[in-house]
Amino acid sequence: MGRYIARRLIYLVVVLIVVSFITFGLMHAVPGGPFDREKALPPEIMANLEKRYHLDDPLWKQYLNYLYDVFIPRLTTKPPAGTLEDDFLINAKVGGVWIRWMNFGPSYASRSRTVNDIFRQQLPISAQLGTLALLVALIIGMPLGIIAALKQNTILDYFSMSVAIFGVSVPVIVLGPLLIWIFGVTLKWLPPTGWGAKPPYLLGFLPTQWGWDYFRFAIMPSVALGLGSSAVIARLTRASLLQTIREDYIRTARAKGLQERLVITRHALKNSLIPVVTILGPMFAALVTGTFVTELVFGIPGMGKYFVTSITNRDYPVIMGTILLYAVFLVIANLVVDIIYAYLDPRIRYE
Amino acid sequence: MRTKIFTFVAILMVLSIALAACQPQAPQVQEVIKTVIVEVQGTPQVVVVTPEPVEQPAGPKTLRLNMGPGDIPTIDPALSTDTSSVQIVELTTVGLTRQNEETTALEPGMATSWEVVNNEDGTQTVTFKLRDDVYWVKYDGNEVVQVTDCEGNPRKVTAMDFEYGILRTLAPATASDYAYVLAFAIKGASEYNAGENEDPESVAVQALDETTLEITFVDQAVYNLNIAGMWVAHAQPKWLIEGDDCTEARGDRWTETGFFQGYGPYTLKEWVHDSYITLVKNPFWVGSESVPEAKIEEVTWTMLDEAPAFAEYEAGNLDVAGVPLADIDRVKADPTLSAELTIAPVLCTYYYGFNTKAPIVDDVRVRRALSMAIDRESLIANVTKGEQEPAQWFSRPGLAGAPTLETHPDLGVKYDPEKAKAELQSYLDEKGLTADQLDLTLMFNTSSGHQKIAEAIQQMWKDVLGVDVKLVNQEWKVYLETIKGADTPQIWRLGWCQDYPDANNFIREVFYPGGSANPNTDGSVGGVSWVNETFNQLVLDAAKETDPQKRVELYAQAEQILVYEDAVMIPIYWYTRVTVTKPYVQRTFSVLGGLEHIEKWDIVQ
Repeated sequence: MGRYIARRLIYLVVVLIVVSFITFGLMHAVPGGPFDREKALPPEIMANLEKRYHLDDPLWKQYLNYLYDVFIPRLTTKPPAGTLEDDFLINAKVGGVWIRWMNFGPSYASRSRTVNDIFRQQLPISAQLGTLALLVALIIGMPLGIIAALKQNTILDYFSMSVAIFGVSVPVIVLGPLLIWIFGVTLKWLPPTGWGAKPPYLLGFLPTQWGWDYFRFAIMPSVALGLGSSAVIARLTRASLLQTIREDYIRTARAKGLQERLVITRHALKNSLIPVVTILGPMFAALVTGTFVTELVFGIPGMGKYFVTSITNRDYPVIMGTILLYAVFLVIANLVVDIIYAYLDPRIRYE
Repeated sequence: MRTKIFTFVAILMVLSIALAACQPQAPQVQEVIKTVIVEVQGTPQVVVVTPEPVEQPAGPKTLRLNMGPGDIPTIDPALSTDTSSVQIVELTTVGLTRQNEETTALEPGMATSWEVVNNEDGTQTVTFKLRDDVYWVKYDGNEVVQVTDCEGNPRKVTAMDFEYGILRTLAPATASDYAYVLAFAIKGASEYNAGENEDPESVAVQALDETTLEITFVDQAVYNLNIAGMWVAHAQPKWLIEGDDCTEARGDRWTETGFFQGYGPYTLKEWVHDSYITLVKNPFWVGSESVPEAKIEEVTWTMLDEAPAFAEYEAGNLDVAGVPLADIDRVKADPTLSAELTIAPVLCTYYYGFNTKAPIVDDVRVRRALSMAIDRESLIANVTKGEQEPAQWFSRPGLAGAPTLETHPDLGVKYDPEKAKAELQSYLDEKGLTADQLDLTLMFNTSSGHQKIAEAIQQMWKDVLGVDVKLVNQEWKVYLETIKGADTPQIWRLGWCQDYPDANNFIREVFYPGGSANPNTDGSVGGVSWVNETFNQLVLDAAKETDPQKRVELYAQAEQILVYEDAVMIPIYWYTRVTVTKPYVQRTFSVLGGLEHIEKWDIVQ
């Protein structure tokens, strides 16, 4: 298992280098640069900006410098000399040596911040939103799927599946304003926009302000974002449970007179959840990285908005940083799922 | 039994969501308007929600506004380029001079008086006398406190801080976008900014003592005093940016929450990026006639898209908001909201430019025909709906030096289908063509608003002239590249807003050779690709003319060449802002492109 994980981590580094190369190439191939504005800038001003951000270097040099800044840790005996040098995501003291690692560069659009500052301040919000949306998806999707399977071809089954189809077919861009209209503007139960937590965060990601105030803001966006996934979970749970119920060992369990409740909970459910667990990893990653529309509709200051606007702004360091980060996220999420998978299904062993 | 409870709870959870989704048609209201005019009054299915009037709670006066979506790029005077950034800069720091937000008149800011001397070499030296009762302040987490120097004395805002601010903006290493405005106006600034001269002493800005600042300008121009007051020329705290014996250098990060120092009627309390920014009243700001002491204790801007912001306004969580296009008809029909509605002018112009070197539109008759065939009034009534003003020329009335419709009702270009047909016919007869053979393309940047306008104009061209014009759109940054280079389309779209309220900022900085929409001086294609010596001379003369009447006449002549005689561009409309304001807010309406002077506002409790 340990060797398997190590192998997957090496594979992650390869993935990141390939992804960074492709992204860098595409980014610079697209016409238009970060400093093209409606009011065209005079050439002298343009030259100053390009010089400041080293955009006047040849592309290969820019790319190699970027790799060097992001991937190669710096080891020094001196602590970082004040804010002007605090450009690294990781500043750790190990023994007598400072390890400084992962400098994702400045942001062109937000002059007083680096890409690392943006990560520290916005990413936790997207992560919270994605996590809550996944919880919503599970809380709605699993019961729906289970009911539908146990009461197959009854009114309950049809009802559950129509809810699931509704969830899949209504996009956030429609559901979001609808929720705002009903619960925010008309009933005034929930705040229409915003997020209930702000930096700093516990462990870099958990909100420090818990309680009803936090959830008041979080309910609508998490439901809007999670509903589509809940439908996927519901359908998958239903199909998988139906298949499991028809297995021989379930018939055996029933034949030996076990209560139906125990048959379902003890034998059927656990086994039928394996396919559901399989999609949770990619689903979680997709939720966290796919918060853009939800953040826009509900005015949530997460990473999604930064990522999309960085593309239209040609904010190169933010584009690169976010894509690399999302790539890490996807690979790790899949790795975690594979490990859980092995635990759930004794037949699976990674060598 | 447990399964039953389980089932019941599950159904309950699902039902709650399903019921929320099965609401009647109320939400449809938001989507009533597409592109046709909808007479809202009398259509029964429209449900208008009237929020109960929300009283501002007693206590400190607070104001809640919206900035528009996305984080503010910066609040650093040297680096600001956009309205949102400049809005914060103008409240947290004050320029030497200041613009009145309603009349655009020049008023004293940090300078109490100035002396203008015209030199024999054509330059102009202005000596500013500064106020000596203004202190640098910061918010320390509880209250606004004075900033002290290393000896513990409060730091006053001095002429040296202004000199440092101007030089920092101009320094090539700062890489400030807007440095060019100072570079083209101040003697020696252009060479220093371009790196040709590395000595800051070569820039003609000098603090003679703590309250006297001397600036020498390249031209003897009337707008020099406006430029001296621009945000890029505000005082900046050298000790905080570069560090001193008792302050850690923060570089470009000096504007973050907890570090920011300013001296205006407000100062920064908290900036949560991409979420909101809060300013708090600066009690150390001694009010003057033009920049009074603030009445409202705290001002918060959220950073929301127009639609959610309007929802927040209706929910009573914002005091002022812009009205989304889709809601304008509903707001006008609603008794409460229509009373809160204001449509105010903004110093911006929406226009189409021609590539005068491209086939077909290289003939002035075609350009004139296309311009005169646009029914601007109908476009505004049916498409844009913000009660914008039909534009007859480029420099929007309200700018110093710009003609107005009262004095020049017939200047420029107007909707005139008969004349438009005649112009085009004369071209077609000469070339032996018919209207439907003309291959024309209009390009704009991808956006539903521009799309609607372009489609309406395409139809007008078809109806009046019988010309089929193709529409092409491109992503913003790609588009900006396209319209600067050899591939500039025959007709393209742009807008322009004021940096300082003078016709020079429009007509010279956009269409004079080397200007923003006429970038290439070597005769190659880009923007309008146009040179007219008479126009150039008029623009230069107007910049130097001191008699306001004569100046307007010079610009009027230049405009006539630009939009009619050579018809290089099609002025379409002059912008307005459609906003709703709660009745308890006493405010002024700024014409400076959304730049408000909130220190003059009040909340009536």
